[in-house]
Amino acid sequence: MVSVLEVVDLHIRYGTGAGEARAVDGVSFSIEAGEYLGLVGESGCGKSTIAKAVLGILPPNGRVAAGEIRFQGRDIVRLPPAEFRQMRWRDIALVPQSAMNGFDPVYTVEQQIEEAIVAHVSWPAAERRKRIEELFAMVGLERQRLSDYPHQFSGGMRQRAMIAMAMVLDPTLVVADEPTTGLDVIVQDQILQRIKAIQEQLQKTMLLITHDMAVVAENCDKIAVMYAGRVVEYGGKEVFRTPHHPYTLGLCNAFPDLDDRERELISIPGAPPSLVDPPRGCRFAPRCPFATPHCSDVDPPLVEVAPGHSAACHYLDRAAEFRRMSEDPEIWRRAGEAA
Amino acid sequence: MQGFRRYVIRRLMLLVFVIWCILTIMFGLFQLLPGDPTSIFIDSNFSPDMIERQKELWGLNDPIWLQYLRYIRNMALFDFGQSFFQIAPVSEIMADKVKNTALMIVPALVISIVLGTVIGAIAGWRRGSKFEQSTVATSLFLHSAPSFFVGILVLMVFSYQLRWLPPGGMVSLGGPDGFWEMIVARDYWVHLILPGLVLVSREITGPILLLRSSMLEVKGSDFLDILRAKGLPERQIVTHATRNALLPLVTYIAVMTGLLFQGQVLLEIIFAWPGIGRELVQALNDLDYPVAQAALYVMALVTLALNFIADLLYGVIDPRVTYE
Amino acid sequence: MTDIRAVRTDLSRIRRRGPLARFGEAVLRNLANLKVLLRYPSAIVGLTLMTVFILVAIFAPLIAPYGPFEVTYTAERAVIRLSAPSMNNLFGTTNQGMDVFSQLVWGSRVALMVGLLSALGSVLLGTLIGLFSGYFGGWIDEVLMRATDVAFGIPFLPFAMVVISIAQPSLGLVILLVIFFLWRTTARVIRSQVLSLKTRPFVWAAKAAGAGHMKILFLHIAPNVLPLSFLYVAIGVQTGVMLEAALSFLGFGDPHVQSWGIMLNAAFQAGAMRTAWWWVLPPGLALSAFVLSVFMITRAYEELLNPRLRSI
Repeated sequence: MVSVLEVVDLHIRYGTGAGEARAVDGVSFSIEAGEYLGLVGESGCGKSTIAKAVLGILPPNGRVAAGEIRFQGRDIVRLPPAEFRQMRWRDIALVPQSAMNGFDPVYTVEQQIEEAIVAHVSWPAAERRKRIEELFAMVGLERQRLSDYPHQFSGGMRQRAMIAMAMVLDPTLVVADEPTTGLDVIVQDQILQRIKAIQEQLQKTMLLITHDMAVVAENCDKIAVMYAGRVVEYGGKEVFRTPHHPYTLGLCNAFPDLDDRERELISIPGAPPSLVDPPRGCRFAPRCPFATPHCSDVDPPLVEVAPGHSAACHYLDRAAEFRRMSEDPEIWRRAGEAA
Repeated sequence: MQGFRRYVIRRLMLLVFVIWCILTIMFGLFQLLPGDPTSIFIDSNFSPDMIERQKELWGLNDPIWLQYLRYIRNMALFDFGQSFFQIAPVSEIMADKVKNTALMIVPALVISIVLGTVIGAIAGWRRGSKFEQSTVATSLFLHSAPSFFVGILVLMVFSYQLRWLPPGGMVSLGGPDGFWEMIVARDYWVHLILPGLVLVSREITGPILLLRSSMLEVKGSDFLDILRAKGLPERQIVTHATRNALLPLVTYIAVMTGLLFQGQVLLEIIFAWPGIGRELVQALNDLDYPVAQAALYVMALVTLALNFIADLLYGVIDPRVTYE
Repeated sequence: MTDIRAVRTDLSRIRRRGPLARFGEAVLRNLANLKVLLRYPSAIVGLTLMTVFILVAIFAPLIAPYGPFEVTYTAERAVIRLSAPSMNNLFGTTNQGMDVFSQLVWGSRVALMVGLLSALGSVLLGTLIGLFSGYFGGWIDEVLMRATDVAFGIPFLPFAMVVISIAQPSLGLVILLVIFFLWRTTARVIRSQVLSLKTRPFVWAAKAAGAGHMKILFLHIAPNVLPLSFLYVAIGVQTGVMLEAALSFLGFGDPHVQSWGIMLNAAFQAGAMRTAWWWVLPPGLALSAFVLSVFMITRAYEELLNPRLRSI
């Protein structure tokens, strides 16, 4: 069977004042039907760019330079615009980063959900209404609030309405792009649980984009870790259990672990490299505590470390050693000073 | 809704207060006139007896506070008295002149707003294009050009040199009379071309610049990305954006109309348009003070009323505005 | 960003000299900052034009061959009426035989004086009102803002015409009226600026350090609204000159001075639009050029203050 989404060697560039930024630089991954993939990385690593490309809403200065995005086997990058437009929302829907501003402020929530239906299918008004009410019930919103304007909703309610809108045409794939940005912690949890519940219930194929390793660990069955436009580690749950890439190690240390409250939280010092002129070798080398001169010289390929689990590091054989060492905050601090 | 009603009442009270202040200022101003009104128009060969009778008739012998109260009452009731020179109640003259001024500015406003909105929206949507840059540059230039000199220029070129268009007036001598006859008459429209053109050339810049910048603002909104992701056709997306960008325009239109209503004096003079501004200038030259103060008052009222409407409209069209 | 900068400039100022000297320093520093304007091409064009006007105004007695009301005669002692441009009368003459070129040159003095005085006066008034209103709030704010509302309700041109015809037309009165018209916008803008400034940390810091109201207002808040005030000076020059020209054109100008508006009025009254283009065009073009030059400077300054406009 074909994958629902298969991204093959994708390259996306942005024209900027300083030159072309390679926001996404040779990324590949796939999501099978019913799978929940988490794409994780620091802000600016290209993860949201991938979401935008999948939905065909890259900003005018961005373009897919090479590679394919296959949706059920068809490359949507090269699809005629009208055909792609028809596919959007009906086949691929989005739960956006900015629920706050995701709705047009001068139309009611219902009007905006209805608009999505009308653009793609010709249901009679009563059926549209029924479907919207059904979805409102599913995300836990009161029916009476349908005719409210977005500003009358709280942040969490708005995001739930967004989820309802995303599900309205029962799409094959749902992309959730940092769906909890700007919400307070308790609401964040509710939203993520709501998404997870829907995913399990409806057997939805989902792509979750986040910077929060803990969220991915809790929700997803597959993970791709991105750094500076590349996937550095990719695989199933074992990515958390036995991380191989030093960057993944760093990310895992940066979020609290419920089983081990004693552990000190470590953040990775330094900042990601410029995407206009990325370093020659491994892009993480300047911040990596285990980097050698070889690392800044030669770019490591993505290598399978176990079936379905791969990482891009020259020293995969020392992964166990790195894991142990990375628990010492001192090691990261020193790497930060060196960089 | 409760909040809205309270807001309207508060705003209305402010309106009445401002009108009262302006009336008081006007009363004081006209008290400063050298001599009294009788000396202005009453022939010197009037007998002292007749002058006294006239003064009595106008209440000029009453104490000042009584005169003040009567003045406020009369103004509030649009009872402006009798013109010194024209044989008609001033309120009738005013109604006629306001109509004439409206006949000059309303068509120009409609064109400016419709055309300006479209041009501004396109310019904002196509940010960075040649079209946007040239539109902005032209608008800024037209906006700062002294429009009365522009009026003189077009008059010199099109009326006196080329003799294509009439050099002024609202209709030709012996032309159509009465509102409905006039607006369907070609004669009126021909007379409107030049002043209308000059008005549009300046007034259109407001909607253009406003729409452009509010469109730029809207263009950065996240909801446009969602609309795109929803697979809506481009036309529908532009409609959403324009609908949002239009919000500030509604207020602007009311304010701009008010300003225009008092600022068109110059063009009325240049194009000999018998509007309220020209009437004021003539009344001042003729020392016809009842007409002058009525004209000033009416111009202030129209501006204030339009500003008031602008404030109310704003809350009606933008669902986000709440009144607490 | 601005917050941090404001705090920093504020701290650097704390231990030095008396309050007046320190306020003066802030004014001078803002003036010195204006040289950044030279990075904007439109400002360069505007400033060049303005320099020409200023030079012409200063050297008017040297440039103008005749006085503003001087009648020119032929060698045979005949008045040169409505003569087209010639060697003797560069821009021709008026129907009373006055030299248009000379009137134009003298007019630049009036324009500059009206522009400067009305702009400075209105901005001073507006800034003070805005500062007090915004800083003290309460009944002071209420009174001042209602006064502003009333000022906004008065239609300027009609009101000015009435006042002038009741009093005697004079340049001073025109300038006063323009000031009366212009202060209201400045006051509102400055007030809202002050409202946001007074919640900033450096104001609490000053209060905590025991600074009095006047000290906080004039040493800590006022310097931060100066750039905006400067903008309104520029806008005021432009509007002031336009309004004087408009009033003069309508026949409410000072008959004892020769301004461009008065020239246009005379030309218009004499029907020169049909007969003597040389009488109409120079004052109109001079007025347009003057207004445009101020506008270009203003625009560049506005972009400097508000980088968001820069996208143009």
